[in-house]
Amino acid sequence: MEPATQVWWFAAGRLLATVLIGCGAGWLFGNPFGGLAIALALHLTWVLVNLVRLEWWLRHRNYADPPDIGGVWGEVISQIVRLHRRKRFHKQRFVQLMRQLQRSTAALPNGVVILNAQREIVWFNRMAARLLNLRRTGDLGMRIEHLLREPEFVRYLAKGDYSNPVVIRQSSADECYLSLQVAPYGDGQLLLLVSDVSRQMRLEAVRRDFVANASHELRSPLTVVSGYLETLGADGSLDPELRGPIAEMRRQAERMTAIIRDLLELSRLEETDEVVGGEPVDVAALAALLRKDVLARAVHPREVRVRIDSEARLLGDEPEIHSAFSNLVDNAAKYTPPEGSIEMRWWVDEDGGHFAVTDTGFGIPSEHIPRLTERFYRVDAGRARATGGSGLGLAIVKHVLQRHHGTLEVRSQLGSGSTFTCHFPLERVAATAPAVSAATA
Amino acid sequence: METADLSHHISRRFNEDLERVRSKVLGMGGFVEQQLHKAITALVEGDSSLGEAVALDDQQVNNMEIAIDEECSRILATRAPAAGDLRVIVAIIKTITDLERIGDEGEKIGYIASRLATMERPADKYREIKHLGRVVSDMVHDALDAFARMDVESALRVARQDRLVDEEYEAIQRQSITFMMEDPRTIRRALDVMWVVRALERIGDHAKNISEYVIYMVHGKDIRHTSLDDVERELRGGTVDKQPNASA
Repeated sequence: MEPATQVWWFAAGRLLATVLIGCGAGWLFGNPFGGLAIALALHLTWVLVNLVRLEWWLRHRNYADPPDIGGVWGEVISQIVRLHRRKRFHKQRFVQLMRQLQRSTAALPNGVVILNAQREIVWFNRMAARLLNLRRTGDLGMRIEHLLREPEFVRYLAKGDYSNPVVIRQSSADECYLSLQVAPYGDGQLLLLVSDVSRQMRLEAVRRDFVANASHELRSPLTVVSGYLETLGADGSLDPELRGPIAEMRRQAERMTAIIRDLLELSRLEETDEVVGGEPVDVAALAALLRKDVLARAVHPREVRVRIDSEARLLGDEPEIHSAFSNLVDNAAKYTPPEGSIEMRWWVDEDGGHFAVTDTGFGIPSEHIPRLTERFYRVDAGRARATGGSGLGLAIVKHVLQRHHGTLEVRSQLGSGSTFTCHFPLERVAATAPAVSAATA
Repeated sequence: METADLSHHISRRFNEDLERVRSKVLGMGGFVEQQLHKAITALVEGDSSLGEAVALDDQQVNNMEIAIDEECSRILATRAPAAGDLRVIVAIIKTITDLERIGDEGEKIGYIASRLATMERPADKYREIKHLGRVVSDMVHDALDAFARMDVESALRVARQDRLVDEEYEAIQRQSITFMMEDPRTIRRALDVMWVVRALERIGDHAKNISEYVIYMVHGKDIRHTSLDDVERELRGGTVDKQPNASA
């Protein structure tokens, strides 16, 4: 038999004994029912006293010992004690886990802020408090944009496109830049991650300044060298054996000038913000101009076609667009043999405006395509040197497109040619006239 | 904290209206802060295009003021707020006027910066202006923080700082006069610099005004034209003990 059942039998037996003894004692005095009543009353009192003790202990169980009662009552009390102990154990483990979690988020080198659907602050860690100047308790429940009022951030929050972080200048400290990234989760809640990017920004600025200054400083001595080389090359009394080397020196000096020009252009592109608005650029005229440039080259592909499928104009900075497109066309002309052809195409669809340059040149091995827009990246170092490129053309294209919210797509088939396509978003396309298909050869 | 404070209001729509206007005011404040920073940067670094951009963008500040003003009138007309809510609206209407003026002063600085960029720069590279600009920008920032948090203590601190700005203004003025006397060729530039310093000093005053509206909004006390010590004594004496927003 289980101890619990045993206890119940014992309790039942005790009740029976009480009844019998009460009846017996009453019978002796001639009133068995009176005796029974007294016995039951005593028993009830005993039960009531136990109940009172149990209730008192339950109320004060945090510091009082459980009452020392045997039998059924003892069984009930030990069950309660067991339950209580288990609950306390779980609670402690939970608290411990919670504390660990809190300690680890507090130790994060990045700031973390939890926002609810109304963008009110629910919780933040210590780093966030330090970076954003939040107050421990008072700022809970405040709307985040009331305290972080930088227009860039407010726009970022309102736009709801959280794929990229936004960098803001912290207004209460000099030269402190914060990168803010929102990650939505759960039921409209937002996790705001804050990190201090001042160091990166400073390094980036130093790098930009260095490149700009170095290119600038190199330009003047190079002008002198090119000048003398030009005079020497024109000098009729020069030893004929020296003519070859001097011509080569001139070519290389020209190439260096081109590199420096491109470097300066790149650093200028990096320094200024994105192009806002801009002028409507006539792509058809631009393409015609580029076509003429290609045909003016000493060696050029046999056929240069321009295909304009849309009258729409492109909104942007004209010199920059020109520079980007001419770099693409130059590349095509450089890498296409004289018997090949180049085609420029401009069209507009529901995704936006597109400008594509297709050539029938050598093509680019696919493993090189992702890295093409890196500075000085060469697919084939030997050939590039022979054609005299600066190695910066596609980097410039990429930057110009970025500043116009556009992207560059490269498709290439080894041996049969490549297509470079610039995609511009719809807001960059000026009020469209109905698309007219016109092909000029 | 405001949401909790305003939650007992009859209409939830009204709370939303108030919150939206407050958000707009603080958004405008953020924009003005940025304008100010850009204007000072343009001056100190001699960036004429940045200065011109600031002067151009002031139009946006004006538009924001008009939009918020209209919204406030609409709330007054349709909801007829009373007590604390009325004070919030009144304080907002006053605050945006001061913000707009700060924007105007920023525009002025931007304009002068684009002109000064073409002139020879002084040896100290406008160090005083940079410092004063820093102090004033912080004041504007703290005043808006106090507005967002309904924080009377910070508002009082901002109001106190105005004296520092006035002293600095005097000092730069004296220094400029010395320069002008030493070398009359610098008079033109020194006059422009004086305009900038004057504008910064005015911005400090506007920041002080905004912080005074915060105190008005929270405590219902108009503390303009009273000495700050009196204000503080009074606030500490009776009203500060009760919850700052209890009257709202």
